[in-house]
Amino acid sequence: MTVEATKSTTSTPYLDLFARRGERAGEAERVQTLRREAIERFEATGFPGRGNEDWRQTNVGPLVRAAPALASPRALEAVELQPYLYPGCDRLVFVNGRYDEALSSPPAQGTAAAIAGLPAAGRAAEVVAEHLGTAVDGRPSCSADAGVHPFAALNTALFEDGAVVEIPAGVVLERPLHVLWLSAPGAGDAAAETVEVSFPRLLMLAGENSQASIIETFAAVGAGAGRYFVCPAAEIVCEAGAVLHHTRLQADALSAFHLAFQHARVGRSAAFDSSSLAFGGGLVRNDTVALLDGEGADCTLDGLYVAAGSQFMDNHMRVEHRQPNGTSHQLYKGVLDDRARSVFNGRIYVHRAAQKTDAKQTNRNLLLSKSALANSNPQLEIFADDVRCTHGSTIGRLDEEALFYLRSRGIDRDAAYRMLVYAFARELVEKASFEPLRQDLEGRLFASLNGSSGNGRVE
Amino acid sequence: MLRVTGLHAKIDEQEILRGVDLEVGAGEVHAVMGPNGSGKSTLAQVLAGREEYEVTAGSLELMGQDLQEMAPEERAHAGLFLAFQYPVEIPGVGNSYFLKAALNAIRKARGEQELDAMDFLKLLRERAKLVEIDEALLRRPVNEGFSGGEKKRNEILQMAVLEPRLAVLDETDSGLDIDALKAVAAGVNALRREDRAFVVITHYQRLLNYIVPDHVHVLVDGRIVRSGGPELALELEAKGYAGLNGKTAQA
Repeated sequence: MTVEATKSTTSTPYLDLFARRGERAGEAERVQTLRREAIERFEATGFPGRGNEDWRQTNVGPLVRAAPALASPRALEAVELQPYLYPGCDRLVFVNGRYDEALSSPPAQGTAAAIAGLPAAGRAAEVVAEHLGTAVDGRPSCSADAGVHPFAALNTALFEDGAVVEIPAGVVLERPLHVLWLSAPGAGDAAAETVEVSFPRLLMLAGENSQASIIETFAAVGAGAGRYFVCPAAEIVCEAGAVLHHTRLQADALSAFHLAFQHARVGRSAAFDSSSLAFGGGLVRNDTVALLDGEGADCTLDGLYVAAGSQFMDNHMRVEHRQPNGTSHQLYKGVLDDRARSVFNGRIYVHRAAQKTDAKQTNRNLLLSKSALANSNPQLEIFADDVRCTHGSTIGRLDEEALFYLRSRGIDRDAAYRMLVYAFARELVEKASFEPLRQDLEGRLFASLNGSSGNGRVE
Repeated sequence: MLRVTGLHAKIDEQEILRGVDLEVGAGEVHAVMGPNGSGKSTLAQVLAGREEYEVTAGSLELMGQDLQEMAPEERAHAGLFLAFQYPVEIPGVGNSYFLKAALNAIRKARGEQELDAMDFLKLLRERAKLVEIDEALLRRPVNEGFSGGEKKRNEILQMAVLEPRLAVLDETDSGLDIDALKAVAAGVNALRREDRAFVVITHYQRLLNYIVPDHVHVLVDGRIVRSGGPELALELEAKGYAGLNGKTAQA
């Protein structure tokens, strides 16, 4: 079949990467098996085309056409890291997909086991053996119709180092844990047909009644302007009663493809609160799956995406309520300028057993130019009969009345404009309770609005 | 202070103002009255620089400056203030943050030093007392969830903080109960000064019991058809707008 031929052609370079990579010394047998199975799944599905309903609005063509090369190891100067650091955090630093021990300061032993790289022995190896791949690759914990995520499969097959974090039962992590996934792309040039690839991999296990905050930062360092492809996968498990705060800051360069998959399983009476803040990347897609897998599980998934130029940002959410009395809240807001486009696809799936579910999903979009475009597709699938599920989405423009009101008080047009856009987005950056993070997010939001004036932006 | 000459203005191809002449001196209070649809609010919006309105003829001068050449914020810098008939709710922007940004924008434009947070807070508290506004409202987003009376008081508070040379009050009395009306009027009266003028636009005479104007103008069908002293307002209250300029209109 022609389709098959196309598939194998486009995925071949990635299959070659896997073949060339070979087996890594010391890697656990189970991980090797996972990798083999993952590349086989990727080979079978190939890159998602427009015919794939889940990917209908996401054109990965430019990525597929580029020739991939594994991003090579690079030593960073501490000063290059500085703009992304927060005081008072423990820290794991990855550069081009590899753990940088010199720049990292893992949590003290005894409070948490945080081991980077692929551990062959010890507690982290046990965590890997028990949990790695159980969420991302779908089989035991995902519903059958969730399907195979081709990029998650690529990640499993090809990731170099991973962050394995376990908060033991009952432990409260005092300091936030900051995981930095940095890309240092090569010089590159516009005509280059290559793309440097890295596969950040996070496995986070919050034990029973533990508490922790984790911050992930995705960003580019160095002067290289080359195209690169970040393909992260995160597996997060909150055992019964765990409380986990998660912030995901995506500040990649505009030359980046960022196609991410994250999966959270939230146990009985556990609370998972995750914020995604996306400012960077040219072609961005985040697939988030949350399973409320214990009675009374509580899940908050919030997000802000700010895009201009020709950026494309896509958030695909799937929240599954499997047990009774679960609560899930989603608030995603988008600010789109120039020719930027966004997709929000939110699916809430309530299983028959999940009575008394309280699920809410809101997506609001602010368009700052006539050429910006937002798509919002909320979907509810409810198989229980005693639930409260609401969803709503809005796509609007800046309130001209408010703009005039501010100007009539002496505030110039650009400042008034930024004030209103900031007002729209602020709740999502201000919810960060860790002060250095909140300040950083506010600064990034302000900076991202600096170019927007609404003047002459209509194309 | 303000000189409006032969002002014609239209919106969506519909002419609303058809030759308004108005001259307001420093320290004076002028009332502009008129029936619904006579162009009162259009006059206020045109003065403030609303872009939807197109001035087709005539001139607007504030202390010798041509307002038509100026953006809305530049008019504010020059000393113009409009108290909106329908103050706009701005979710996400704190009331005191907004006022500080406005005051400092005006001070900066005038080459004055910007106020720091402490000095501003002191000023804000003092002015809040003057207009009897609940301090809790200062911490909330601009006008969001405010009652009608609270919104109007908030307009007067903004005026008190920004200290304009010319304040235009667009139906600030509409929808106010008598207590709120008195509070708004007291705020305005406290701000009356030799070098500050007011244009009070109203449909009813009632507000003018508390803010006593020096001059009263009647706007009908886009023109000022009569001008007089405070007694004119009383006459309108008694007789209504009917018969003015040969048009039927109700009080």
